[in-house]
Amino acid sequence: MTVFRVCLRPLLMISALWLNGVPVSAEMAPLGDEALANVSGKGGIYLSGDISINEVGGPVQNSYFGRCDEADKKCGARFAYRLKEGGGWMVLDEIKGLFAFEGLTLRVKKIDTGFGGDGELFNRDVIEIGLPDSVRFTDVQFKIAASSTARPTDPGFMQTDILSVQMQGDVIMQGNLLVFPDGKP
Amino acid sequence: MRCTKDISRSGFCFGLVVGSLVMAQTARADMVQLDDSALSEVQARSGITLEMELNMTADRLSYYDDGQGVHVEGLRVGSASGRDDGAFHRIKADVGADASLNLEYLIEDRRIEFSDIRLAGAPGVSMGGFFFDHSLDGVLTIRQDGGVGGNGYTFDSAYTMTGGRLGYRTNGNSVFLDDITMNVEALGITLDLVGTTLEVSAPRVTGDWRIGGIRYSEDPSVYGLANNPQTGQPLPSFGSFQGSYELSSRTGIRAGGRSGEGLSLDHETTIHTASFIYFDDGNALALRDITGDYQIQDLRVDVAQDWSGRPAVALTLGKLQGNLNVGEIEVGGGSFGSVNLSFLLEDQVFNGQAYGNAIYLQGGGHPDAGAQGLRLATEWSLRLADLSYTEDGHRIIFSGLQSWGRGDVTVNVTRDEVRNGTRFYDGLRIGFDGLSAGYRINGLRVGSDDAQLQGGTELLLALGFYPAYEFELDGHVTLGAGGATGEGLTVNSDIQIRNGKAAVIAAPYDEGAGEIPQKGLWLTEMSYDGQIRDMTMDVTEEGLAIATGEAWSSTDVGNVRVGSKEDGASFGRLQIQKYEVGSTTLVKPGGAGDVCVGGTGSAETTCGASGGQWETRGNEGVTIAMKKILARAQDDNKKNALLWESNRAVDGQGRPINNTGMRLLVNDIYTSDGSDFNGDGVDDNTYGIRTDLSVDVYQTKVTKKTDGPDSLGITGNRGDEKIMVPGSPGVYRYVAEPGPGDRANRPLGFAVKAETRFKELSISNIDLVHPAGGHQTVIYGAKLQNFDIRANLTATPIP
Repeated sequence: MTVFRVCLRPLLMISALWLNGVPVSAEMAPLGDEALANVSGKGGIYLSGDISINEVGGPVQNSYFGRCDEADKKCGARFAYRLKEGGGWMVLDEIKGLFAFEGLTLRVKKIDTGFGGDGELFNRDVIEIGLPDSVRFTDVQFKIAASSTARPTDPGFMQTDILSVQMQGDVIMQGNLLVFPDGKP
Repeated sequence: MRCTKDISRSGFCFGLVVGSLVMAQTARADMVQLDDSALSEVQARSGITLEMELNMTADRLSYYDDGQGVHVEGLRVGSASGRDDGAFHRIKADVGADASLNLEYLIEDRRIEFSDIRLAGAPGVSMGGFFFDHSLDGVLTIRQDGGVGGNGYTFDSAYTMTGGRLGYRTNGNSVFLDDITMNVEALGITLDLVGTTLEVSAPRVTGDWRIGGIRYSEDPSVYGLANNPQTGQPLPSFGSFQGSYELSSRTGIRAGGRSGEGLSLDHETTIHTASFIYFDDGNALALRDITGDYQIQDLRVDVAQDWSGRPAVALTLGKLQGNLNVGEIEVGGGSFGSVNLSFLLEDQVFNGQAYGNAIYLQGGGHPDAGAQGLRLATEWSLRLADLSYTEDGHRIIFSGLQSWGRGDVTVNVTRDEVRNGTRFYDGLRIGFDGLSAGYRINGLRVGSDDAQLQGGTELLLALGFYPAYEFELDGHVTLGAGGATGEGLTVNSDIQIRNGKAAVIAAPYDEGAGEIPQKGLWLTEMSYDGQIRDMTMDVTEEGLAIATGEAWSSTDVGNVRVGSKEDGASFGRLQIQKYEVGSTTLVKPGGAGDVCVGGTGSAETTCGASGGQWETRGNEGVTIAMKKILARAQDDNKKNALLWESNRAVDGQGRPINNTGMRLLVNDIYTSDGSDFNGDGVDDNTYGIRTDLSVDVYQTKVTKKTDGPDSLGITGNRGDEKIMVPGSPGVYRYVAEPGPGDRANRPLGFAVKAETRFKELSISNIDLVHPAGGHQTVIYGAKLQNFDIRANLTATPIP
């Protein structure tokens, strides 16, 4: 089994990417649970579980899509988009797989201390996403393709598969992702 | 009280007749004068038997409090069947060996009605009219000596009411409870004068009741009738109800209102057992094993003015507290579980403003609906409430619920029409006029009331509730009679919200050391306009079914803030538009049942072999099956779209100005079946986005994420499991390798099993919009097809 290990140490503080995407202060020391107790704004939720996409197929039954036990049909999901009016479509096709994770946390807190003194300077409220200890990928796969039509059942449909991706194994993720507004709202 | 222009066919003073009516039902000792005709019916056998036909009208009955009057107009007591007929009364009076007065009474087909209630200072408007039809057959025994000795009285009362009908009418439209049947037994009621307080004590009152239907009529000619005389068909009905109860109560009544004259009342009731069942075409929604108690302190009744100086009948409350427990909530033989609510309504300061509890009854209702209607200038202060939900023995408590508000609520019975420029719909219209309100929840507790306060209130978002919300509300909800088929409910509504502040994530407002500013992720400067048309609600064999004809809304969030709702840093502006046609929701009892989490398999062994965890989540819980049909854009108001704006210019006070920054527009999002199967020229759109969501309160696996002590000083190693200590609420330890006994004490949380699937979801275009340069399309269409996403998630509140 392949194991992907992603350690977010030191802890990253990332401003909202859709604002200006500027990572801030990547040299902070991680805080333990006890130290975090000194940060005001308690409470939150702890999420665990699994999410599967098209484990046995999707709801469409036609000449292209079918159940996963139908050898001549595609049972994955499909996402198509185009960047040019009247142009062709970029496609993520045959998307399926299962993700299982444990220990994703979510809360809002104020950081005004710690982080080697940077916290006092930072002095802001943030959304803290506590990354799960592990994420297990089981039979995760998709294809990247180019297509003449959005629907594979449209007249004149042609598609060129560019590459296929398959993922299997565990990803170890530690640390917290801090999200906060920056710039001009 | 005084009689003004009384008109009585039987020649009585009106007050005396009212006394006789009350006597038959609520055990007063007043005697009734008889005229010659009535006396002729007196038969001298054992005791005295009185028989009479009563038909009486009065133009006006007035009550004055400190010189301010409220008038009941168009009063009539007579037969419910014929306008000019009298109601038959027979009263047999007997004196027992213990000097008790025994009355047996039979009242047939009586109607008590009045056309208007008016306030002296509000000419031209009225609260509307009421009517009450009934037949009574009962006994009443009156003995001297009350509960505290002296000159009091003791009453034993038992009666059966049949053919009951209780209606409310405004501007020719009426809503009424039809075919009411009731059996009541109240033994040992005592009436005493203690100091200046009239005390009424009912040690045991038992009864059962049934309401055959709640019917609606927009035709003035069918006023007070169950069937339409032209068609012979029953009037449309909201459904039928039945219930039973056993309770005891104590009431103290004193003279004197909140100012000067008036009435003061203290009351307490204990509900030993009760049930309440709603039937829709024979399908039942049942609340069983109801118990509880409540105490009312210092309720005052005055004729006074509200905070705006408008004349009103003022009901002002000192304090109301109580507990209500519903042992089982059932539909179709399945159970959702049980609910418990404890509450305290009392004066409190919220956001620097003092709130109390008061209702000021006024006439008029919505000004465009006509002269008749109710306007309730309302103020409330829910100082503290805890709401708990228990299923399969697992309890979770939404702790520290507070709510406050002030504004007008209007009530009219309306018909489908445009009147004075306002659109009205068939049914009972509940309007909101300048209602400024809010609520907030402090946190969750799991297991017991004294467990540690935890976060996690954001889990309510899954049910469509914000954990905290302040808003200014206008609009209406009109409840029409009749569902998708037969009985049920049809809802039309137009809701406008301004200056909203809603929490998506909310920290506690009080962590135990007094109130603190509530931190969270907030949607502020929020306005909302939402319309719902022809939404039917029915109880079916499976559960509560909701089907929406058409619904569209626009939510404009001026700032998405992190931290304080007042001045937290902002991500910018967010606008969400929704447009759905033909969406449905089915709420069913029962949760996920047996589930394989993190693996695959339909049995414990196969699940475990795949690396999953087998969970047996019991029979109770909630399952919601939703089908959302996102319709194609009709215009700029009716469409599904998402807009995010930032980098806005600011006004002189530093507030961002909308539409001056850069905008990202995800435009015209809609579902489709993937082709035009029915050949009408457009793609079919019947499948939509279908989601089945099962929610249980269940033990969840929580592992420690770092070595060493946690935020509460409990030590463990990374990967150790959090295990609760039985019998010690909120106390836990970390266990490296938990055995079966430990796993039985895992912390409680919400377990969610969800499946979402759709055939096709499309986005017409994604644009960047510059304030001067206009739209620039980035994505010329996107299409997602054939998705089936399944999730097993556990959400555990953490301290």
